[in-house]
Amino acid sequence: MLKPRVCILRTDGINCDEETFYAFNKAQAECRMVHVNQIRSGEEKLASYQILALPGGFSYGDDVHSGKILAVELASFLKEQLEVFVADGKLVLGICNGFQVLVRTGLLPERRLGEINATLMANENNHFECRWVNLLVEHSNCVFTRNLKGAIMTVQVAHGEGKFYTDPATLQGIENRGQVVFRYAGADGRPTVLYPGNPNGSLNAIAGVCDTTGRIMGMMPHPERFVERTQHPNWRRMPSDTIPHGLAIFQNAVDYARQM
Amino acid sequence: MIQEVRVIAKPGLPDSKGDESLYEINQDLGIQSVEKVRTARVFRFEGISEKEAAYLAVKLLAEDVFQTYRINGPVIKDAAVVLEVAYKPGVMNPEVASLLKSASDLGITGLIAADSSWEYGFYGPEISSTDISRILNSLLVNATIEYVVRETPQTLVIKGAPGLTEVVPIRQMNDGELITLSQDKLFLNLEEMKVVQKYFSGLQRDPTDCEIEIIAQTWSEHCVHKTFRAKISVDGQEKLPLLKRLKDATARSKHPLVLSAFVDNSGVMEFYEGTAICGKVETHNSPSAIEPYGGAMTGSGGVFRDIVGTGLGAKVLASTDMFCFAPPGTPGDDIPPGCLHPHYLLRRVVTGVKDYGNRMGIPTNNGSVHFHSDFRAKPTVIVGAYGILPAASSQKREPEAGDLVLTLGGRTGRDGIHGATFSSGEMTDRTIDINASAVQIGHPIEEKRTFDAILAARDEGLIRAITDCGAGGFASAVGEMGSEIGVSVALDRAPLKYPGLSPWEILLSESQERMVLAVAPAHLERLMQICRGYNVEATVLGQFTGDKRFNATYEGLTVMDLEMEFLHDGLPQRFMTASWQRPEHPEPTLQETQDWAGLFARVMGHLNVCSKEPIIRLYDHGVQGTSALPPFAGAHEDGPNNTAILTPLLGKPYGMVISHGLNPVLNMIDPYHGSLWAAAEAVSNAVSAGANPREMVLIDNFIWPFPDEDALGALDMSVDACVDFVRATGMPFISGKDSLSSTYRGKDGTVIKIPPVLCVSVFGRIPDVTRTVSADFKGIDSQIVLVGYRNTSEMAGSVYYDLQDAIGQNLPKLNPDKLMKVFEAVHEAIDSGKLLACHDISEGGLGAALAEMCFGGATGSSITIPEGENPEHFFFNETAGCFLAELPADANLAEVFSGVPCSIIGKTASGGLLTAEQDGKALFTLNLDELKEAWQRPMKEVFH
Repeated sequence: MLKPRVCILRTDGINCDEETFYAFNKAQAECRMVHVNQIRSGEEKLASYQILALPGGFSYGDDVHSGKILAVELASFLKEQLEVFVADGKLVLGICNGFQVLVRTGLLPERRLGEINATLMANENNHFECRWVNLLVEHSNCVFTRNLKGAIMTVQVAHGEGKFYTDPATLQGIENRGQVVFRYAGADGRPTVLYPGNPNGSLNAIAGVCDTTGRIMGMMPHPERFVERTQHPNWRRMPSDTIPHGLAIFQNAVDYARQM
Repeated sequence: MIQEVRVIAKPGLPDSKGDESLYEINQDLGIQSVEKVRTARVFRFEGISEKEAAYLAVKLLAEDVFQTYRINGPVIKDAAVVLEVAYKPGVMNPEVASLLKSASDLGITGLIAADSSWEYGFYGPEISSTDISRILNSLLVNATIEYVVRETPQTLVIKGAPGLTEVVPIRQMNDGELITLSQDKLFLNLEEMKVVQKYFSGLQRDPTDCEIEIIAQTWSEHCVHKTFRAKISVDGQEKLPLLKRLKDATARSKHPLVLSAFVDNSGVMEFYEGTAICGKVETHNSPSAIEPYGGAMTGSGGVFRDIVGTGLGAKVLASTDMFCFAPPGTPGDDIPPGCLHPHYLLRRVVTGVKDYGNRMGIPTNNGSVHFHSDFRAKPTVIVGAYGILPAASSQKREPEAGDLVLTLGGRTGRDGIHGATFSSGEMTDRTIDINASAVQIGHPIEEKRTFDAILAARDEGLIRAITDCGAGGFASAVGEMGSEIGVSVALDRAPLKYPGLSPWEILLSESQERMVLAVAPAHLERLMQICRGYNVEATVLGQFTGDKRFNATYEGLTVMDLEMEFLHDGLPQRFMTASWQRPEHPEPTLQETQDWAGLFARVMGHLNVCSKEPIIRLYDHGVQGTSALPPFAGAHEDGPNNTAILTPLLGKPYGMVISHGLNPVLNMIDPYHGSLWAAAEAVSNAVSAGANPREMVLIDNFIWPFPDEDALGALDMSVDACVDFVRATGMPFISGKDSLSSTYRGKDGTVIKIPPVLCVSVFGRIPDVTRTVSADFKGIDSQIVLVGYRNTSEMAGSVYYDLQDAIGQNLPKLNPDKLMKVFEAVHEAIDSGKLLACHDISEGGLGAALAEMCFGGATGSSITIPEGENPEHFFFNETAGCFLAELPADANLAEVFSGVPCSIIGKTASGGLLTAEQDGKALFTLNLDELKEAWQRPMKEVFH
């Protein structure tokens, strides 16, 4: 069977590309590192891929706003390619900086390139923070969490601007349409708005959202940092048959793309 | 015409920078008159219309979801005081390139220049002008790089014409004139100046400013380590140079895994499957003392470049940071004039390390902070970096005649050039002077993309040789690369940040984020293509020649023509005398404690013991997905580990271990035993997690007061300790650095010397990370075992003594031969799966190690103190090379450790109590939650 092709998009300051590549690779995808310049020059085309992954990092230094410069680049130069890619029912995943980029292109939450309806603001404690958190997987039609609904995942966050924020009407719409994919959860597994369970003060404890088709998904935490058992800080305290929690997200994407 | 766009958060929405500033003003500065701070971004654009500025505001600068903007008008209108703080002209603002890029992406073509800055609005009826000036001077403006914008600049374009190359008439100078010339800028002694004079007399010409500058640079203490290469006489007895002794010890160790020691930008050892790992540790004390944020950033940036400049280019895997400061609570009056307060220094240095490492995507997962009041004049800021590369590319290579000299990455500006200033008239029509020697703000994204391009070029075999541009800039990087065969460069080809640099400034500039490559002409086109693909600027500066000269031209005219031999071997060897005087530190007489809860809490809350978690959470320690032993783990993820273990090859079990050790206070008492302690602590940290002492190597960093006779005597003892440690353990030093200038001399005659710092860093390899342990207790009723040699009466330099305001004389005296047996025993026990947890003993002693293991495991423990032991000494002795290990309840101690001292001292227990008894009598029962609170509080107060 042909392996689905994943475009791991790089540019200046993207720095979670290798572990994202590794995670998709482990999920049996065929990955390629693609610099945004290669798409701009026509050397690479989004159309040759089934999955577009925007990894974490500090694209262009997160100047002006986190992910903004790359978002402007995608929404201006790559607008048509992206629109076709999305319209073809292909998958888009944005992690951390990639999530910030997707929100700032308008692809999330409303899937409207160039129209920004939400934002990721500075963490409520005003600084970058790296820690492991619990996520509650919501009941949504998100492709990336197909068999995970109701599960609790543990993953690492590492960001300074991750507070999901939008106006009340948009927020209500996102909730009503079941677009919330992940919520930060406390030790009891219930969504929390309190630090440190919710590391950034996100509205409704939102850690990740998808568009209404469930094929475009963005999240602040890093599932690609938990696709091997020894990546968890307490793997020595866990049963030896623990399956790394992040892997299923990549596996779901690859399984879905394989059927395209 | 300049268009200004101001962007501000909508009313009622958080203003994180404003809130943070308010907190610092209220808490750190104690100014209560400020009730609120609002901030706005200010963007300036030159060459575009107001309509275009508005388009940029909507599409790029302001997000309507939470922000509003205004063109050419104020947005903070109701504040008592509004001030704008910007980078000084000439200090490169990294955001500008992004503004230009996005404007172009959005189809705006006329933009000539842009800038960005911050505006602060201070609210409160009682704010005085004194308050404002304190806020500006102590918090918001670092005058080295920033200024308060009083009026809109007329232009953002920096203009200037380069100065001419001048001839320095050195041949006719008398001794006094030579000294004056040196004092101004060269920092060579009279003997060295006379060598220079004689050389040019022989050539029958005078040197150019380029030539004299490059000689001074090449011969500087920073570049050639004159003290470490000097012949020395210790108490009348001649000894080999310090560096030779260290290198000889390494050579004698004949360590089979060492691939490259002391010859390249970092030391390299063999890893697995055809790969090699490398490490380098650097100091950045002086820049960090003046501008801690930029100083720490450029320190990190520099040491990362050392890694990528190793062999044919390595990938950076990890960053470490070790700091020594005065206590953050030091009264302001105790800080010498011209020095920054340690509270500010600590916060800003941490922010600098964070911003550089996080943005580069390099995990910072090992480090420490030490406090002593004698760091109040000058902090010690140590930054390390580690990398991985193909073993086949791990040797330092030499360029061949005909190869091209390429510079990659950042542009060249007046950064780091000594003493040079230039007036506003020459530079720009703005009225602010440009501080030419400004500490630079690092640009991690520039460095990241440059590294990306270099690794791609390496993998295609395009690089002949590579080095980084650090101290001494092109002069040092190109000069060293071409030292064997000769090189010629055209300085006018170097891409500049702004016009107006003189040839010697281009040669000497220490602008960051630049790498120099030697490339065969046949590979040039492909290499340039790769660089373009990564948005990296690459320029051919010249060529390696084969004539063994260092030649430079500017617009066709020769501005430098020196023999490499004179430049690199002409410096006369120094002769120095050393004699260390043992200081008096009387042994205190201490009473038995009546308050164990209070004493234990004070030890745990001591600055050198307390939890550094609030700092570590600011660093991304998980990026690259390689962490297999993080800085903190355990039931609540707040139990510290002793070392970092990475799996650099994702999906493979191979581990890289990284740790370090230092104890400046012990060096004040006895530099020999203090240094042995540092090396033992560094290795113990790694071994406590399961690393094999036979498969690790060392890096030395000596941060010392100015080497007068006494300090040089101390340094000699420290080096002796290192050499003895290598002999006994077989672990070689494969990289190192010295920084011998940490003495402060005040105008009033005050002299403050830092406690001498030897920081020993360790890295090594582990065949399978699943055969390692963390420090948190794993079970209830486990046996707690003490392993290692210690004489608990050796209490000098301990935290326990410090709490009684004593230092003492009788410090822990380690025997490195015995240490190695302990290391091997602990490693074997972990490797064979017999230990559940392990922690080495260091500051705070057995007591602190035990408490930390309990915190991690969320367990208690009950301890039986051996008969006849002094309980305070038992808990708080700090002998390195000792370990606490957790054994399953049913394990037989004799089957786990043999041939080394070991004893069962207690067992783990459920619940949150730490109890101790001796001779059948209860000594204390302590609440571990209270100890944990005391242990966590100090850094939470600094990093809220």
